[in-house]
Amino acid sequence: MRVKRVLIPLFKDEVAPRFDLAAEALMAEVSPEGGFTTEDFLLPHPSADGLCDLVLRKDIDVVICGGIEEEYYHYLRWKRVEVLDNVAGKALAALERFSAGSLKAGDILFSQEDGHAG
Amino acid sequence: MTLVSPSLLASLDFPAILDGLPLGVAVLDREGRVVTVNTALERMTGFSREAARGVPCRHVLRSGICQGKCPASGPVDTEIINRHRRKIPVRISAVPVLDPLGQELFRLDIVEDLSALRELERRLEEPGGIGKLVGKSPAMERIMRLIPAMAQAGAPVMVIGETGTGKDAVAEAIHKLSPRAREPFVRVNCGPMQAEALEAELFGRRQQSGEIAPGAFQRAGTGTAYLSDVGELPEELQVRLVRFLDEEAILPAGGQTPIRSQAKVIASSPSSPESLVRSGRMRQDLAYRLGALRLDLPPLRERPEDIEFLLAHFMEVFAAKFRKKVLGFTPRARRLLLAHDYPGNVRELRNIVEFAVMICPKPSIPPACLPAHLLEQLAAPGEKE
Repeated sequence: MRVKRVLIPLFKDEVAPRFDLAAEALMAEVSPEGGFTTEDFLLPHPSADGLCDLVLRKDIDVVICGGIEEEYYHYLRWKRVEVLDNVAGKALAALERFSAGSLKAGDILFSQEDGHAG
Repeated sequence: MTLVSPSLLASLDFPAILDGLPLGVAVLDREGRVVTVNTALERMTGFSREAARGVPCRHVLRSGICQGKCPASGPVDTEIINRHRRKIPVRISAVPVLDPLGQELFRLDIVEDLSALRELERRLEEPGGIGKLVGKSPAMERIMRLIPAMAQAGAPVMVIGETGTGKDAVAEAIHKLSPRAREPFVRVNCGPMQAEALEAELFGRRQQSGEIAPGAFQRAGTGTAYLSDVGELPEELQVRLVRFLDEEAILPAGGQTPIRSQAKVIASSPSSPESLVRSGRMRQDLAYRLGALRLDLPPLRERPEDIEFLLAHFMEVFAAKFRKKVLGFTPRARRLLLAHDYPGNVRELRNIVEFAVMICPKPSIPPACLPAHLLEQLAAPGEKE
């Protein structure tokens, strides 16, 4: 096992609902033991192409995101990047769940009890 | 005027009402979290109402305005990315629901799928035509002006033209430009088929179990039933078609109870209704009903000015399809192609260009790359390279 480099496109402190509309990203290095360090990146403007470039330039292993268009999803997969999409929740909550080894594509991390989000 | 009492309103099954709507609807609380979504929005976004409940709507709708000017004051055209990673163009309208004191109780986000509209716009913007119809000649421009008008009419339309002139493409274009565009387009070829089978194909059949196997008119619903080669329809079925056009009701084969159908009828034939009546192949009453709105598609030999345009158009289409850098025809090949009279009309020209682009290894297509039968027909000694 080696350190995994994870990128999460951001909207405020949440996983960005849309990959292509994120102008900010959180990059993390997750150790095999589950610990992680994070770093923020700002993009000049929201761009799916820009994010893909960043993913390749930073040698990212895993992208955790919300909605992503099919062509970008397949492009990243083709570049051997794991994509966990349709994730909704706070970025740090997603990262913690990933480092614990239990984050899956499609996970909704907001509290849904009584119809209220956490 | 009878007023609906508040208690009656409160007793209404609100979710069921929303599910009956053809538009996507999200019910949001004051913080913008999803209370529920209707069936249409479940289908559009890929989120079930259980999965969406309590989630901030920006993570369910995922529209172009969710990370910006939300909620918009009026309808906004944007796009969403659904759970299946598909980008869908939509129009979103936010409707606040207020209590008697003017306080916002909740908000409805109404989401209309614009995919069909955008597709239509894209097709209309294609050079020189509507849908698969292509042409620059005055005759074709007139046809393309008539099609939108005929699409708006509920009356039957008859499309007349030789083989390969584009009758099917015209029928599809009329359907796609009509208010029925989102409903089914059901095509039935009335050509050689046993009358009983054709009857079931058109009007449906009552099965032994008592169920009705739907025919074209039931399957079309409020869409379009397109009857190609209508002159081949047996006389007894012509009588039933006349009855349908008059009464908007059909009787399935073996059935006793008529079924209502509001399908628009488009019929096509290589011959005009008058000549079909003269030759005894069409009843006069059906000819009158079908021939009220008619489009006569000119054969390619009567609009030679379209040939060059069509050659260039299809060459571009097939060069892209086969990923070839074909730039044009050699002067000799072009002369041969312009001299041909195209008895198979646009379909024949299209097939010739497809063949030539497919087999040609050069940027300019020489006569040697044209189909052999064409070269034989033209029999121009010294023209072959």
